[in-house]
Amino acid sequence: MALFEAKQLHKRFGDQVVLENISLTFEEGQLTGIMGPNGAGKSTCFNVLTGRFRPDRGSVRFAGEDITGLSSREIASKGISRSFQIMNLFNEETALDNVLLSSPAVRKKGFSMLRDLGRNNTARDSAFAVLSRVGLADKADVSAGSLSYGERRALEIGVALAAEPRLLFLDEPTAGLGAEGTARLAQLIAQLKRQLTIVIIEHDMRFLFNLADRISVIHWGQVIAEGTPNELRENPWVQRSNLGALA
Amino acid sequence: MSTSLLRVERLTKLYQRGMIQKQTTFSLEADFEIAGPSIVGVMGANGAGKTTMFELITGGNLPSSGRVLVAGQDIHRVRYGERDRLALHYHQSYQLRSFTRNRPNFMLEHAAKDRAKVHLFDEPQFNTQDGYIGFMLDFFRKLRADGKLVFLCLHPNEPVHIDIMNEICERFIFVNKDENRVSRLMYADSLSELSRDARVRTYLGKLAPPL
Repeated sequence: MALFEAKQLHKRFGDQVVLENISLTFEEGQLTGIMGPNGAGKSTCFNVLTGRFRPDRGSVRFAGEDITGLSSREIASKGISRSFQIMNLFNEETALDNVLLSSPAVRKKGFSMLRDLGRNNTARDSAFAVLSRVGLADKADVSAGSLSYGERRALEIGVALAAEPRLLFLDEPTAGLGAEGTARLAQLIAQLKRQLTIVIIEHDMRFLFNLADRISVIHWGQVIAEGTPNELRENPWVQRSNLGALA
Repeated sequence: MSTSLLRVERLTKLYQRGMIQKQTTFSLEADFEIAGPSIVGVMGANGAGKTTMFELITGGNLPSSGRVLVAGQDIHRVRYGERDRLALHYHQSYQLRSFTRNRPNFMLEHAAKDRAKVHLFDEPQFNTQDGYIGFMLDFFRKLRADGKLVFLCLHPNEPVHIDIMNEICERFIFVNKDENRVSRLMYADSLSELSRDARVRTYLGKLAPPL
């Protein structure tokens, strides 16, 4: 059974059909890419999958449980983390504290516990371990606001990981990153692969082709193609494109 | 007898100007039937009425006379919010479902189908550099294999657009606007057949296939 299964999702906003019968499955331990051109409905899809919007029709199941229509918070508590296209970090706080703030211990007890947790070595150690996973061990004491853009992206993934999710959603992680930053991010994600189930929503095809086990192509609010990167690459029109030349 | 996927019956759409001395500014006439699944290429100059025809088929626009049957159901008698269960209008990268309303929803019937049978793609953006074209064409084929009727409206201005139409379309409609501003449809089974007509050749210009 797939870890995450969305079936026949429909979503309309006024005069627009935003999602039309989208079905997606994410297998445990796999990295799935969702790609599509701008305006294809990727973000709405992401928001329906992670509970921000309720679908008009269709269902979402996670680990065998129906989570359709649950709030983002409730979905997060089931073990699904998401990072956002627009980063939300606490700029005044250090990288380490940003991670600590989303550790299960703090989320259980509330923000007031942060000071106490600062002295709680176990929590600090695991937050530090998360920073190491995302390559920011040497930036632990630097305030989030002073990190480079690429480092902030990595920290955001760290914040998402601190919640110890079973499933991690990343929304346009390469947005705003240059070639070097994108390469570094790809390296980071490749290291996380297999440690947990990852879903990446991204318009940069090349980024996904090199990382994903499977890719779903979304356009017009529908899944228009699906397959492994190799299967999708075989398409003659992909061969004809820049992507074919670079792949 | 099975029901046709689409019947456009003596459909006309008139736009007029002036209160007393009415002057027709635009007029579209269409009458055709497509029984089974197919991929139909639609061409015509800007302003010839391609989008208007799509709007009439999806029930977004009201005909002046005639009717449109999608899978046997008169689209203009179906509740506004349910018309997209019969026909979908894809406008470039998104899907529209706005409707000119002429009677309240409760007077209308429910859609007899759950998923759209007719899919109309209005000038989708084909960018040869990003590779999405291949997935878009596969999607048209998948819809057809699932028993749907696909319209692909393109305004060819590069050779690749002709390649796309030749690769994917099984029949063609050309919307021709004459000197009296009356738009009528021409039908053909291939692009080469269609482009034997001088008006189509003029429209295609350098892209017209050799005679």
